[in-house]
Formats: sequence, structure tokens, C-alpha cells
Amino acid sequence: VLVLVRSPVPRLRALLQRCWGRLERGLWPGVFGGQSPPWGPALAVQGPALVPEGINYASGSSTKALSLLESIVWMAAPKHRRTIEVNHCRRRHPSKLTEIKRNIDVCPECGNLKQKHVLCGYCYAKVKEETRLIRMEIHKKEGGPFNTPVVETVVLYEGEKPTEKDEGKRIIERARKRPSWFVQN
Amino acid sequence: RWLASGTLFPLSCIHTSTSLSLQKIGKWEKKNRIVYPPQLPGEPRRPAEIYHCRREIKYSHEKMWYLAKLIKGMSIDQALAQLEFNDKKGAKVIKEVLLEAQEMAVRKHNVEFKSNLHIAESQTGRGRYVKRLRCHGKGMFGMMKISRCHYFVKLVEGPPPPPEQPRTGLEQAKEYVQQLRSRTLVHTL
Repeated sequence: VLVLVRSPVPRLRALLQRCWGRLERGLWPGVFGGQSPPWGPALAVQGPALVPEGINYASGSSTKALSLLESIVWMAAPKHRRTIEVNHCRRRHPSKLTEIKRNIDVCPECGNLKQKHVLCGYCYAKVKEETRLIRMEIHKKEGGPFNTPVVETVVLYEGEKPTEKDEGKRIIERARKRPSWFVQN
Repeated sequence: RWLASGTLFPLSCIHTSTSLSLQKIGKWEKKNRIVYPPQLPGEPRRPAEIYHCRREIKYSHEKMWYLAKLIKGMSIDQALAQLEFNDKKGAKVIKEVLLEAQEMAVRKHNVEFKSNLHIAESQTGRGRYVKRLRCHGKGMFGMMKISRCHYFVKLVEGPPPPPEQPRTGLEQAKEYVQQLRSRTLVHTL
């Protein structure tokens, strides 16, 4: 839960006040396309009546400007606190609860649980480990990068001899018994 | 001079023995200690109850609640299967807790078959929160809370109870008719 310390409203207000001030002083004439600002007097009439009007106008314009500014900076905010009952109704709705999975089976090889459309995690880890050891042997034989020969590879375990089919292939030896799941040829 | 110190001060090394830990033992942990009186020969066998919990898990208790709700009322095997294939962080923690509780049940609470357990209650509670500063841009900052939760589970021996059947219209109608029939006049002859 994050709570911002400084609200952006006074900053925006200050910025808009500055822009308004500039407009009033005529320092930003480009806004109205070269014409005179619309709040300037269209007719220059002599008389003392205008003087107090001018002062009132200035104070009036400032209050109008402030209210305008504040009305521009309207933001949606919650009016009332949501009670915990209402919150519970929303958070604990049946559509939001976790569904129970009905696609879990038992792996016939190792007996661990597995999802129907996914490989068994235990068997996969077993195969991954064996592949890692085979790759280490290959690395030892090659000695460095870019030394892969252009022939097929055959993995032989203890007590196995290369057959006629493995004539021109590269042989990788592993010093252990053949695992039951790694079928030969 | 201090030759007789041993006899004069026999309790020279007084260590104020603190209890096992300065932490208070929670209510859930104490529930395992209740001992019922021996059952009479005619009474049905009282099923074993095992209470287990884990404190100060680094997870939100609201998020943990969804997992606790998932497991309620399931057998322990089904619960473990569901949790294994759930992607949430709390699922791993709850699975560990359930396996611990299962082992406890077999070793200490005289449960014969470890699969013959079902989850009677599974609750979450909030742990101690810690407030920290989270820095935003432009020198602004917010306070964030690092939340922790507790997880409580009660395993009971025996198959899980059958799920509650939803109330049918016929049942509701029968109840209404019964209500109407049981109306009487009060304070009359």
C-alpha cells in the first residue's frame, strides 16, 4: 500500500496561477492570435465610476480565476469507506477463488504426481542430470568451443561395444551402468 | 583470602534460567498439549487431531487466504496434489507445513495411516508488519508495509466429510409447509 506524501493539486494550482498572471499582464499575447485579450475594456469611457470597478474587477477576476482553477483540477475520489463485508463480497466471490485442478495424474514410471499435459518433473530432472554428465564428457573430449565433429554421436555405457551401425560415429563413454530409460540404438 | 569462597558462595554461578525461548508459545501450539481422559469402552473412538502452524511467513495474509480456502475439507493427498501444481509462493510453504504435520501425526500422535488424514481447519492470520520507505521520482516518497502472515492447519484422522449438498427447492418447500403447520395460538384455552 503506497501513500503519496505531497499531493499534486497545489503544484498544479501554482502553475496555473502563474500562467494566468502572465496572460493578464499581456506577456503571453500569442494565445489569442494577435487580438487584444477579451477581458480588456472594449470602450474607453471617462469617469470615476470605472476606477472602483477596476479594483473590484481585479479582486473579482482573481476569485473567479481561483474557483475556475479549482474546478479544472477535479479528480474522482471515493466518498465513503468500503466496509469489510463489502470488501469480502468482492474479494471472496466464487469467480475469484482458485479453482481445483482436475488434470493431475500419477506418473507410471516413478509414481510421482504429474499434470496430464506436462512431463513428469522427477523424470525430467533425472534425464536432465544425465544429459549434463554426458555433455561434460563431450566437453572433455572436444577440449574447447567450435571443435564439434561433423559426425553423429553415440553414448556407450559400461560393458558395451560399438555395433556395425556405429561405424563412423563419435563415441562418448560414460562410466556407469546403462539407465533403464535410455534405450540403446 | 578467597580460599573459602567455594563454601561461602555455593551458588556463585546463578544463571537465571529463562524458559525454552523468550517468545510466547502461541495458542495454536498449545492445542496439541490437551490430554483427554481415557474413553469408556462403549464410546466411539475419538479421531486424532493434530494442530500445526508456521509463523511469520513472508507473504500477504490476504493472498494466503485463497490457498487456505482451496484446501479446506480436502484429504491430505488431494491437498498436496493441488498445492504442488499451484504457482503461488504460499503454495510451497503450505505444502511444507502439511508434510511436517503429517510426519508429526505418524510419529507422535498415534496415527496409523498417513493418508487417512483430512484437513478440518486451515486459517491464515496477519503477522507483524514493518513500514519502510519507497522512493519515487522527483524526491517523492511513499510508505510501504512489508507484510508477513501466519498459517494454521488442523488435521483430523479419518476420511474427509462429504461436501454439503446445496438446499433443494423441495426441501425449502417442505420446511415452509412445516412452519405453517406448527403455528399455534398463544395464551389461549
